Amino acid sequence: MYKKILVVLLVLMLALGSLTGCGSSSTQTNGGSNNQSKSTSSEKVTLQVWIMPNSAQSASDFLNVVKPFTDANQNIKIKVTVLDWGSAWTKITTAATSGVGPDVLQLGTTWVPAIASMGALEDLTDKVSDLGGASAFLPAAWNSTGIKDSGKTSAVPWFVDTRGIFYRTDVFEKAGIDPKQAFATWDSFLDAAKKINNMDINGQKIAAIGLPGKNDWNVVHNFASWIWGAGGDYLSPDDQHAVFNSQAALKGIDFYTGLALQGLVPKAVLEKNSTDVENLFAKGQFAMIFSGPWLVKNFSTPADKGGLSDTIAAKNYAVANLPEGPAGRFSFFGGSDLAIFKASTHKTEAYNLIKYLVTKEAQVNYAKVSGMLPALKEALDDPYITSDPHMAVFKEIAQYGRSYPAVPAWGQIENILLTHLGNVWDDVSGVKGPFNENMIVDEMNKAAEEVDGVLQQSK
Amino acid sequence: MDYLKQNFKKNKLAYILILPAIVAMLMIHFIPMAEGLYISLLKLNQYTLLKFLHAPFIGLENFYTILFDPSSTLRIGFMDAVRNTIIYTIATNLSVLIIGLWLAHVLKQQFIGRGIARTLLLLPWVVPSYVVGLLWGFMWRQDSGIINKILVDYLHILPNKPFWLIGPNVIIAIIIPTIWRSFPMTMIMLLAALQTISDDYYEAAEIDGATGWQKLIYVTLPFLKPVIGTLILFGMIGSIYSYNIVAMMFGNGAGYPGDWGDLVMTNISRNSFNMWQFGTGAAASVMLMIGVLALTGIWYKVFKDSLTMQ
Repeated sequence: MYKKILVVLLVLMLALGSLTGCGSSSTQTNGGSNNQSKSTSSEKVTLQVWIMPNSAQSASDFLNVVKPFTDANQNIKIKVTVLDWGSAWTKITTAATSGVGPDVLQLGTTWVPAIASMGALEDLTDKVSDLGGASAFLPAAWNSTGIKDSGKTSAVPWFVDTRGIFYRTDVFEKAGIDPKQAFATWDSFLDAAKKINNMDINGQKIAAIGLPGKNDWNVVHNFASWIWGAGGDYLSPDDQHAVFNSQAALKGIDFYTGLALQGLVPKAVLEKNSTDVENLFAKGQFAMIFSGPWLVKNFSTPADKGGLSDTIAAKNYAVANLPEGPAGRFSFFGGSDLAIFKASTHKTEAYNLIKYLVTKEAQVNYAKVSGMLPALKEALDDPYITSDPHMAVFKEIAQYGRSYPAVPAWGQIENILLTHLGNVWDDVSGVKGPFNENMIVDEMNKAAEEVDGVLQQSK
Repeated sequence: MDYLKQNFKKNKLAYILILPAIVAMLMIHFIPMAEGLYISLLKLNQYTLLKFLHAPFIGLENFYTILFDPSSTLRIGFMDAVRNTIIYTIATNLSVLIIGLWLAHVLKQQFIGRGIARTLLLLPWVVPSYVVGLLWGFMWRQDSGIINKILVDYLHILPNKPFWLIGPNVIIAIIIPTIWRSFPMTMIMLLAALQTISDDYYEAAEIDGATGWQKLIYVTLPFLKPVIGTLILFGMIGSIYSYNIVAMMFGNGAGYPGDWGDLVMTNISRNSFNMWQFGTGAAASVMLMIGVLALTGIWYKVFKDSLTMQ
């Protein structure tokens, strides 16, 4: 008898457990119907916010930055979930398909058109003027806030990820090279690199440049400035065809890979990633690398807090803009936007939070913790940026910003480029036999064919 | 009918006890599997994702695309991945069996320090495969990695330091850590089986004048056949569905492992979740599942007798 009762109880417990599991999620989706109801200030609201690991203590850093907002709105509680970049795609698409997700979410700039095309983001078009208008933000950052030519705004720029040259001032001095002149054009840059390469610094040979090859998460971004600088582009003006296999674009790819082919980059670096390259630069292995504002922050953080301030490079470095290419000077603009999830039940509060995050105060504070560049123009005038000689250069670099075309298929296009540019690095490092220029042409032609197929499909 | 009723009455408790497990299996295993099968027939991509199971039905087009469509972006990469997975599966399982059998044989002997040796040899097994990928990723580095240091600087086996993490050598760079990670389990299983073989058989063989090899082939291996069979099945399925080591070794899944490092699972994961091609991703998974089912069928034919022997 006891046995029977026990069994029945066990079964009941399991069954109930599964029922409550389903129950909680269904109430959340049902709540979507009364989303527009404006909450009174006394009503308690919990905002779910999804962000990426933007800083060392991502969740608490974020909460510190929004503290003035939560202090002013005592009824709003913020719950931060930190996703990692690798799984964020999956989590966000799951949220979009199921309708259960956060109120506010961070999106990589190149993801916005794709996720907006799925209809998962709240339309913010009529809020733009309330946020200070599109012109309050860096233009290249604003480009990513909605599907190109749709006239709709689905996200708000949060911070900008861009690249400059970090170089060793002591090395340039010893070589007798004027940095201004060295970073003027591609030719002068190449001359300077050749002059520096294998120079004897403190009894050690230094390589001119360090850059990652294919085993990196920036493979595609690393080429952008050079492709644009040579007059090339990714897609035709009507976004119907791939054009990164054009003569101009190939010239840019050749120039960037040429740095390695001419021996200015040690071959062994080509299997490493961006973080490895930054650390090797810090230890004095290279005279120049391409990196972003976070490295400035890193170079001023002591070692016991995970920084690199004790290293040789941290004591002898400066930042410069990329050299001007035959067709001009462009700096790659990535970074992140903020968006409101369509299924959110607290859209008013979510919007107020975003509005706070793009105020000058929050933009500067978040730039300080994340090491990224603010997207708001006004924030670039803050002493945090203007009074720091390195950050001031990034303010200048920001004027040359350019971003990828904001088309919904970009995520797929970037993946195709990742594969084929990865193969280009294989060719360059010589692991598949002797290199010849046609290998790059072949790879880019194949990539263009695949991208054309993807664009065809998206019609 | 009556028989069924009686049977149910007799075993009521058993049925009640396995019911939760069956319900749970249905919900977390079979329903998603059926969904996956159905998705492989849909045009489910970035543009139709919100419709999910209501995405346009296109029949077997996804399968056709992967297998025959020469303009498909998936086809070329997929065939590379299939080739790599076949090489990877055969190489890892064969090596693991040989190394495992040899070590089990050594550990069966009585010698001082046997306990320590056993423990040390088991260590690779307790390292999570993610960590294995990460650690070996450092060890394979061209300039600073320990492997090139040993091969070139200390032993002078190779004249120049080769690249392991880029180019065709990548397949070696993923096979060896997998062997390293999986031999201990095989070793322990075989050791346990070896200890059940009575010494009488070996004595009898010796009296008949059998050599060491003959003892291995005619005494040891027949006794080990059931265990080896099980190990082959697990090893085969494990390596076909292998993902972690490759994903960790090449930029935390960010990079493309290259046409000699991509396995079927990493390929499917990239195409499904980075390219948002869920339909073709599901189709590729279904094809992989059918392949594994077929292999399991062959395996069963080969090992059927030895499994029922005991």
